Amino acid sequence: MWILLIGLYLFSVYFLSVLERRMVYKKWNFAAPFSTLAFLLVQEDVKPHQRDRIFYETAPVLFIAAALMAVGVLPFAKGFIITGLSTGALFINAAFAYIMVAIVMAGWAPNGVYSMIGGWRFLAQLIAYSMPIVMAITATVMRAESMSLVNIVASQTHLWNIIYQPVGFVLFYVAAMALAFLPPFDLPLAPGELAEGVWAEFTGVKLLLFRLGRLMLILSLSLAVTVLFLGGWEGPLLPGFAWTFIKTILVAASFFLCGQYVPRVQHDDLLEWSWKLLTPLALFNILWVGILLLL
Amino acid sequence: MNMERIIFLLLFGSTAIWFAWRVFMTKSMIRSALSLLASMVAIGILFLVMQAEFLGVLHIMMMATEMTIMAIFMMMFMMDPGGMGDMDMSHQKKYSSVFAFLSGASYAAAILFTQWPITADAVPAPAQQNHDLGIELMQRSMMIFETAGVSILVAMIAATATALSFNSVNK
Repeated sequence: MWILLIGLYLFSVYFLSVLERRMVYKKWNFAAPFSTLAFLLVQEDVKPHQRDRIFYETAPVLFIAAALMAVGVLPFAKGFIITGLSTGALFINAAFAYIMVAIVMAGWAPNGVYSMIGGWRFLAQLIAYSMPIVMAITATVMRAESMSLVNIVASQTHLWNIIYQPVGFVLFYVAAMALAFLPPFDLPLAPGELAEGVWAEFTGVKLLLFRLGRLMLILSLSLAVTVLFLGGWEGPLLPGFAWTFIKTILVAASFFLCGQYVPRVQHDDLLEWSWKLLTPLALFNILWVGILLLL
Repeated sequence: MNMERIIFLLLFGSTAIWFAWRVFMTKSMIRSALSLLASMVAIGILFLVMQAEFLGVLHIMMMATEMTIMAIFMMMFMMDPGGMGDMDMSHQKKYSSVFAFLSGASYAAAILFTQWPITADAVPAPAQQNHDLGIELMQRSMMIFETAGVSILVAMIAATATALSFNSVNK
């Protein structure tokens, strides 16, 4: 059971990295993740001058740990879960908040201008976009009358949340992309402008931890979209975990696809949209779900 | 209370105190803010050890954003945020250490000499705790929390309004 679960997570991460590569280079390459892994493991560890030693070492570890904690409470199927918390819906928010702490630490530590700009940018970005995330989750919790993620899936047996609260889905989807700093929201990295920003000064194993953590983060967010809005493991014929896997991969593929066709958003516009548009919409969504529940 | 729980309480309690100490012993503002965050996370874990799952997770979640926002403000307003210029930013050391000692001693005395009510025999299940907390917030304590929430919102709007320059308003 445990081996199966860990195997499923590892395979999902592997498949996501293959998928991301396919989306960028338009070519399937199933060996690429392994060669990148081998390359980063042996790459020379170049350390910047006058860095903050503690943060430089801990930031990548905190980043991947936060992503792993989020994955740890998200169920793949009934009983297919590492820890079933009864405050799961709140816990994933807590884990995502530490992604931001890790990125701010990583931006500060190397004593470089580009990384620092990237780090502080992500602080503003995450605080703005965690509002729609938290409020969209709140609306799903309201419907399930429970913060346990298993119960949230159970509440969608008859009607998925994507139909019950479409506004919440759109908010969560957009905010999830901003949280995983995927293009068009890749402001902390911003290749071409900040030259990989936050990660610019990291090499070797530390960069590997960041990249793996990012894949884990994308996995956890697409899994969260599946669990909260797409009915989790509900589906005919196939076993539950297969449905979750298919839905999760499709959500992740749609994330990558959006990033390809939408240009990067300007920083001030990004914040303005969140505070002036998405946050009021999220409040409206809570009202909407409340009215539906009372009818 | 079983042995394991006491060991974890002592462990994370001392972690919280250690990081609280580090807050004042470092010259880097960012290290100081994030040490405070680590201290707060240790306190959040204390909640978890005492089986208050919701409060623990909430505490850990809220502190992440709060302390990082504090970090950026300290970086903006301090002259030497990285602590690399070897600038001493402390002052009135004697007064503050005497005051800290006295207030610490009074807290310890208050803890030792209070007649604590008998603790509950059994802790309700986490889901039940969430339910009870919700009922409490929406019934007895509603007025207090709503007042606090609205006051904080007003303060936020007022702070933003005063921070706007005249030019940007008149545009």
